Amino acid sequence: MLTLPELGLYFSFLMFLVGLAGVMFRKNILFMMLSVEILLNAANLAFVSASRLTNTIDGQVVMFFVMAVAACEAAVGLAMIISLYRTKASIEADDLKALRG
Amino acid sequence: MDLSLLSFIVMGVAAVLLSAVMITRRWPVSAAMVLIGVMTLLAGMFGLLDAHFAAAAQIIVYAGAIMVVFVFVIMLLNLPPEELRYGGVTVGEMILSGLGVVVALLLGTKVGRGFLTTGIEQLGLQSSESAPHLHRSVFAEGENVKNVAASLFVDYLWAFELISFLILAAVIGAVVISKKKGAEHANAA
Repeated sequence: MLTLPELGLYFSFLMFLVGLAGVMFRKNILFMMLSVEILLNAANLAFVSASRLTNTIDGQVVMFFVMAVAACEAAVGLAMIISLYRTKASIEADDLKALRG
Repeated sequence: MDLSLLSFIVMGVAAVLLSAVMITRRWPVSAAMVLIGVMTLLAGMFGLLDAHFAAAAQIIVYAGAIMVVFVFVIMLLNLPPEELRYGGVTVGEMILSGLGVVVALLLGTKVGRGFLTTGIEQLGLQSSESAPHLHRSVFAEGENVKNVAASLFVDYLWAFELISFLILAAVIGAVVISKKKGAEHANAA
């Protein structure tokens, strides 16, 4: 029988797969950023589960740091989306091919 | 079956399914609302894992602050419906992603089983008596926030201070990035 933290690790794995599919298959940059939030949440669940599993508090502190980094990422990424929409009038990733080699 | 285990499984399955619902939405606002639900479910799972501070921070910071920024930007963009086309997934993408899932499952079960069975003892995390300041390990009732604070402000103090510089840099970067076009606009007016 699986314990709670082990189950949490499996759920975080499944959530990470779903978020990864979102980043890969959605062409809309807004949805890609929302999927990145799912990825970060899955990582947070893994950190907290590992913290419970090993009976150490460090995982929860790292989870706090991940949360701060996620806030920075959201702020800068959304500012970039607004800037892109102003210049290109589109937030489809396929339309942003200025850096294509 | 234990009630906490049952509710943990229900919340975990609901979180995974709601994540799948989120990435297939057409409208960004409904996707953001579903994502708030996912984050709330995760907060419940954190609470069941005795991480009470993490649960509170998940609700306040994630479901509150970060998602408000997302919804605000969705409102600011005000995308026309033809911008929100969703082509779905082609067969080739499905085959490739299935292969990726198989590889990830093999890798995940291998690494995860190693971590679950032998890894913990070998990592030495259980031997907290030798270095009690490095691995605070109390999960007693009502002690979680105290332990997180002690670890955050003593063991991880420098990382905590550096995070404040990161947030400052992100705020400055966000202002600079979104200001560029606005300045031209002000000149034209």
